[in-house]
Amino acid sequence: MAVTAQAVPTDLGKTLQRDMLATYYGALETANEDGVPVAYLFIPGNIVELTRTFGFLPVYPEINALQCGIKKVAGENIVRAEDLGYSSDVCGYVKNDIGLMLKDRQSPFGRIPKPDLLVCNYSGCNTFIKWFEGLAHFYGAEMFLLDIPYIRGRGATESDVAYVVAQLEELIDVCERRTGVTFSEAKLRETLEYSRQAEDLWVEILNLARERPSPFDSYFEAVFYMAPINILRGTPETVEYYRQVLREMKSRVGEGHGPVPEEKFRVVIEGPPPWPHFRAFWELFKRWGVVAVASTYSKVGGLYDQGLRHDPSRPLESIAEYAMNSYTNWNLPMRADLLRRYVETYDADALVIHSVKSCRSFSVGQADFREEFVNELGIPTLMVESDLADPRYFQEAQLRNRIDAFFESLQQRRLTGAVA
Amino acid sequence: MTALPGTVEELRSLVEDVTFPRVREWKESGGKVVGSFPVYAPMELVHAAGMLPVHLFGAGGGVEIEGADSRIQSFVCSIARSTLELGLRGNLQPFDGFVFTNICDVARNLSGVWTRNFRDRMVEYLHLPQNVGSGAAVDFMVRELRRLLASLEQVSGRTVSEDDLRRSVAVFEENRRLARELSRIRAESPWLIPAHEAYLLLRAGGLMPKEEHTTLLRKALADVASRPSRPMDRVRILLVGSFCEQPPIALLRAVEDAGCYVVDDDLALGLRFIERPVVADGDPLRSLAAAFVGGAANSSVCHTVRPKTEWLLERAKALRVDGVLFCTAKFCEPALYDYVPYKEVLDRAGVPSLHVEFEEKMNAFDQAKTQVETFVESVLFEEA
Amino acid sequence: MITAGVDVGSTTSKAVVLDGDRQILGTSLLPTGANVVRAAERAFREALAAAKRDEEEAGYVIGTGYGRYKISFGDDQVTEIGCHARGAHFLFPDTRTIVDIGGQDTKAIRINDRGEVLDFCMNDKCAAGTGRFLDACANVLGMTLEEIGPASLRSEKSLRITNVCTVFVESEIISQLARGEKVEDILRGVHQAIAGRTAGLVRRVGTNPAVTFTGGVSRNGGMVKSLEEKLAVPVNVSPLSQWMGALGAALIALERVEGGAVRRVPVAGGAA
Repeated sequence: MAVTAQAVPTDLGKTLQRDMLATYYGALETANEDGVPVAYLFIPGNIVELTRTFGFLPVYPEINALQCGIKKVAGENIVRAEDLGYSSDVCGYVKNDIGLMLKDRQSPFGRIPKPDLLVCNYSGCNTFIKWFEGLAHFYGAEMFLLDIPYIRGRGATESDVAYVVAQLEELIDVCERRTGVTFSEAKLRETLEYSRQAEDLWVEILNLARERPSPFDSYFEAVFYMAPINILRGTPETVEYYRQVLREMKSRVGEGHGPVPEEKFRVVIEGPPPWPHFRAFWELFKRWGVVAVASTYSKVGGLYDQGLRHDPSRPLESIAEYAMNSYTNWNLPMRADLLRRYVETYDADALVIHSVKSCRSFSVGQADFREEFVNELGIPTLMVESDLADPRYFQEAQLRNRIDAFFESLQQRRLTGAVA
Repeated sequence: MTALPGTVEELRSLVEDVTFPRVREWKESGGKVVGSFPVYAPMELVHAAGMLPVHLFGAGGGVEIEGADSRIQSFVCSIARSTLELGLRGNLQPFDGFVFTNICDVARNLSGVWTRNFRDRMVEYLHLPQNVGSGAAVDFMVRELRRLLASLEQVSGRTVSEDDLRRSVAVFEENRRLARELSRIRAESPWLIPAHEAYLLLRAGGLMPKEEHTTLLRKALADVASRPSRPMDRVRILLVGSFCEQPPIALLRAVEDAGCYVVDDDLALGLRFIERPVVADGDPLRSLAAAFVGGAANSSVCHTVRPKTEWLLERAKALRVDGVLFCTAKFCEPALYDYVPYKEVLDRAGVPSLHVEFEEKMNAFDQAKTQVETFVESVLFEEA
Repeated sequence: MITAGVDVGSTTSKAVVLDGDRQILGTSLLPTGANVVRAAERAFREALAAAKRDEEEAGYVIGTGYGRYKISFGDDQVTEIGCHARGAHFLFPDTRTIVDIGGQDTKAIRINDRGEVLDFCMNDKCAAGTGRFLDACANVLGMTLEEIGPASLRSEKSLRITNVCTVFVESEIISQLARGEKVEDILRGVHQAIAGRTAGLVRRVGTNPAVTFTGGVSRNGGMVKSLEEKLAVPVNVSPLSQWMGALGAALIALERVEGGAVRRVPVAGGAA
């Protein structure tokens, strides 16, 4: 294929990511045998820059769950966990992980190593504590609870940051003990610098969705392209990856390409995707020419678009601030305000809420968002329900009905110029 | 002033009344009221500000859920929905403020829904330390308590002095001391007081002035000590999993009638969450924080440095129980997660256990009773 | 020139044939059964027969209901939300809120003065509060759906049915009977329970008068009364409630024709 100076191969980002993940999973496969220390972390508010400093390889059980969902094996993992005694009413992500553990951690993308340290960065989700308490029990592994205060006012306070920083210092002692490696502030600063650069590039990509038409689906594509910044942050490879993806997206703008042939509706999407039925779900929207111009699930790993950055000149403080500012660690009024600002900034026609049974953190209160948006703000809002990991809760006919009815009515009102 | 409830039936009436008659009485005489959602909230501060602290436990089966689902999803514990329903219907009109804490994602988000739907009331969400092993936990909690106190001062319209706090801490500590005494009697001589009666006595403390409740407990303890009841051939049970949403009284009775002495439980745990005596010398907020961080009761909603499974086994042995009854609210994530390692450890140690799921609004208990009867039979059979 | 609307639901299929003056010429109603395509065709043909008109005269046909994509002879598909809105507004022009309790789902729809959908809320995940719930209760009592409404209206005592689950309400009813409670009181409790859940759903879109009650369950007088009590407003009911979706579809079809649309499906050698 001829590559001109202007044109960019349209699958570059996908190919790069595939290679990066293959390398990552390859390293995980042999980590236990090779004696490379393994730290389990959660995505929101994760402190990977700190653990990298000690040579820990990071494992993210949430990512394992989502990948199992996409590869259609989450269902059997979940059933295995339920056979062990986990209720049908608890989070599918947790059950997938337990089910994976019971299968000797054989996943569709390789064997996941056992944890040497469970760093429970409890940001935005209480269930994380129960998850790692369970894993600590089953693996007999050491668990460090990094207690990250929920934002109670309009932002993180000095007291909150001080508490987290003090715990990070305690975590450093634990990491030194576990790995035998002495903490190097210089190494941490270097890692943070890579994070910061990747974050700048990622935000530039997200901002492209302001274009009309948007070159980029800020939900269905964002949740794919966000993988490296969530899992492989703090490396030079990730910086290079986002440079390439930015070029690719910019060239789409140049060529007038987008995720659908004709952009008819711009929406903001709130909530995780139904991983086991990802493609089918996207199709239900694509057929109406719907493009997501902003989403919140893409911010579980950090609200970079709100100005948040890792900062090598303030290592532990910026890590603490980062830890507090993941989307689900923001209180509901702040989340509602963010959704409203997204609708405005990205010039969206409507808000779509995908409410998932498993995740109370996301879902409890979304109905209240709907109330507020429809009745107070006059912003058309569609609410649909399924699950993020359990394939049994996806009812395509009902979803199609709701989605069709919603865009049908938007279309109709656009034609007649009707107001509410 | 209304007379103290004397009988079990009077206690039950008080506890199940979703119109909060004692609260309304307090308001009518010019006072202010602050309610807390489970599990534990430092209500000493509300007391110190001269307001009535109330512990909310949902509506039981007392209201039909019709409005709550328009704010939160329906696949969550009933207590979250029924508490919201009470709010939306106006039952919580007499309350001037509400306190929520970081027990789980549902409660946390409920506090957010609360702020939008009850804009004219004080709504505080406390982040109590979960990393209780951290050297910074007490300092953090002290600042959090100061933050709450400032809000409470605003609501009450008066400043709270350190002496006020010390007095309130002492009042609550005396109340807890009596509650601990009641627990001790139950563990040693459960035939003197049935579990459901002890539970109602404790839970009533969340609905009346603390001083009155202390009087009630003193009377009850004196009465219990003089009861002529003889021990019966029942199995000793530890009940675990009901620290937030509460099972109906009828379920507790069904369990007892099936042949059990419930010698200890985590029902209404928030009312006796601090197990270590709190001595408020020096900074009373610091004493309270230190007591929480160092000596809180074990529950599924608070992380501990020591694995909880160790606590469970130790407790079961200390109480000489014949079995453990996991009694968990439907949809309650924290309880449902802990259940699996708990059961595994009990199985390994040869301690029989049974899991019964409940909802606060359930009204059919035959199935549960049959399960417990079968469990009792098998325990007795094993022992024979 | 005539237009038609065909509503293929999970339980029943309905069709309505309209003339250019918006007069209903013919209707049909039959069980959907296992073959959705056949049910759609039969519904269409039977309505045409009732109207004494031929398929060639149809200027536009719109399919609605869950089976709408299987209607090969239709010119377009519109969701039943859109169709119920149009149908209810046509029959009761003061309608601003529609409550549709169907066999398997319940909907609340807010519309404007043109019959256009502004907002909607559905319970499509759980049988509680739907016609299915009433079916189960009628079954347990050995009664027909036609009997339970009038029976509930004879009740003089308020009785709470607390189980929202269709599976468990059966045992609750049996225990109530065992306790000596009267059938009409139990039925009233059942109707109140459904009305309560429905009212919750309606409140999410707002109880803006006038409220029109559509769907098969609206033929149940007991349900109408309970719903009016719970919503605290009177509700419109039409004998055509079961054809609301098909009627709306036919009306939308007529609007399309008036806007210049033509039938895209060839008439000769069309659906067998």
